[in-house]
Amino acid sequence: MKINACLVAKVLTNFIREEIHKAGFDRVILGLSGGLDSTVCAYLAVQALGSGKVLGLVMPYKDFDAEGVGHAEKVAGILKIKWQKIDISPQIDAYFSAFPTESPLLKGNKIARERMSILYDFSAREKAIILGTSNKTELLIGYGTIHGDMACGINPMGDLYKTQVRELGRYLKIPEEILTKKPTAGLWPSQADEEEIGLAYEELDSILYCLVDLRQPVEEVIRAGLEESKVRRIIEMIKKSEFKRKMPPIAKISNRTVGHDFLYPYDWDK
Amino acid sequence: MKVALAQISSVLGNVDKNLKRHLELIDQAINQKADLIIFPELSLTGYTLKDLVAEVALNPGGSSVFQELLEASKKIDLVFGLVEERESNPGIFYNSAVYLSEGEISHIHQKVFLPTSGMFEEGRFFGSGREFRSFKTRFGPVGLMVCRDLLHYCSSYCLLADGAQLLITISAAPGRDLSDPESQGFETSRMWELMGEAISFFSSSVVIYCNRVGIEDGATFAGGSFIYSPLGKLIVKLPYLEEAFVVQEIDLDEVRRARKSWPFKRDDRPEVIWHSLDRIIRKEDED
Repeated sequence: MKINACLVAKVLTNFIREEIHKAGFDRVILGLSGGLDSTVCAYLAVQALGSGKVLGLVMPYKDFDAEGVGHAEKVAGILKIKWQKIDISPQIDAYFSAFPTESPLLKGNKIARERMSILYDFSAREKAIILGTSNKTELLIGYGTIHGDMACGINPMGDLYKTQVRELGRYLKIPEEILTKKPTAGLWPSQADEEEIGLAYEELDSILYCLVDLRQPVEEVIRAGLEESKVRRIIEMIKKSEFKRKMPPIAKISNRTVGHDFLYPYDWDK
Repeated sequence: MKVALAQISSVLGNVDKNLKRHLELIDQAINQKADLIIFPELSLTGYTLKDLVAEVALNPGGSSVFQELLEASKKIDLVFGLVEERESNPGIFYNSAVYLSEGEISHIHQKVFLPTSGMFEEGRFFGSGREFRSFKTRFGPVGLMVCRDLLHYCSSYCLLADGAQLLITISAAPGRDLSDPESQGFETSRMWELMGEAISFFSSSVVIYCNRVGIEDGATFAGGSFIYSPLGKLIVKLPYLEEAFVVQEIDLDEVRRARKSWPFKRDDRPEVIWHSLDRIIRKEDED
């Protein structure tokens, strides 16, 4: 599970530089939450492109994550990037006054999609491609909102587990308080990832590593000392969230169908 | 002899742009008095082609792109990679390595071992070659391999048995695994280097490996091209992850010296291998 952080940073900055140019952009935009993932992503982007080519949007809903907003502003200041704060409370409140709910999940998803919608609008205004900040842990267990925080132009960190992102953050010398604070999706007050998932990231990542990277059968993972109920729960999470990692299935009629056998690379002619 | 290694990236699916780049580097190699220039696997097309395979295929007999490279080969020998579709075999595409010299095609090797698992899907788009054959060049007998061919040790063995003294592998190997804190490159690069070193020693041949760099659809090609001497000594190694161009002097007499000290080639018994394989294959048929 160890990473060579220096080399990972080099590969990821190359990736950002090369793939955004192939997509026809020279600037990137990303949502800054003040959390670990978006902070590390912003540091990588600045290393790859320079401060002038990175735009940050801080999009608070009420005071759900005031500490995060403070950290996001601090990161933007340290990196000297252009940034803007957009309070999304009016449009979220307007929607839920018409369609009330008590479900934090529904509210959280709506908030994540509002942020996505603003990012795409600013992406077009600013001619900047959206950097996704989902990590491998989130992608695998589906801890993200489809068409919300999972939506992006390119994703530099999707093959790094949360604990590896932290290791990379340490190497990139991001602020200590961001490195060590409790991870939160920030979708409702005092939300904490690890409480919600029911596992500490260290444990979660080591189980995922055995299942996904080493392709160990469940029995083997359990024999290695990891708790059976946790392992089985994680497998269920992976299964249930496969739809978030794919384009939706298309009903096949013809001999050549988008998503089945019409197969071209992203970097076509680039 | 002087060998130029062009550790480059390609434009995916754009043969014209890649041809232009090839011709520029060929000029650069000629200016530096190189005798041979080597490009990576699928250098004329890029690697992650998928359905583009059919659209970028070239017929060695008839394409104008090939004519331009044949013309260039009057001044310097060339090895490059392309999607090959022969007139005699239309609709079947090969991942091929070509050796051109003095305006003629010296040899075309169609990749035999097509990786088709995990991130690789070559078997879905390409036909697989059916032989390893060494061929004459002005520098002596040469054997060509494409990428994964080198990792199957039967490939270089066949070429050795067929007399090759210079083994050239063109490659588009993506890097995987960045877990070693001390390493300068991907862990998979280590695998290629070990294989190159071992094969150079046991085949008493010069082993040249030209890998590409750049990123396609998120995968990073690792670079780290190298040349090993027939005594297993590293002669040159190019950087990981970055484009590089180097012209390297190679002492071909080293093959003779190596084979005098370590007569693996003299003592080789291809007929024993033939008989053993014959028995093994028959046995498999019976099982």
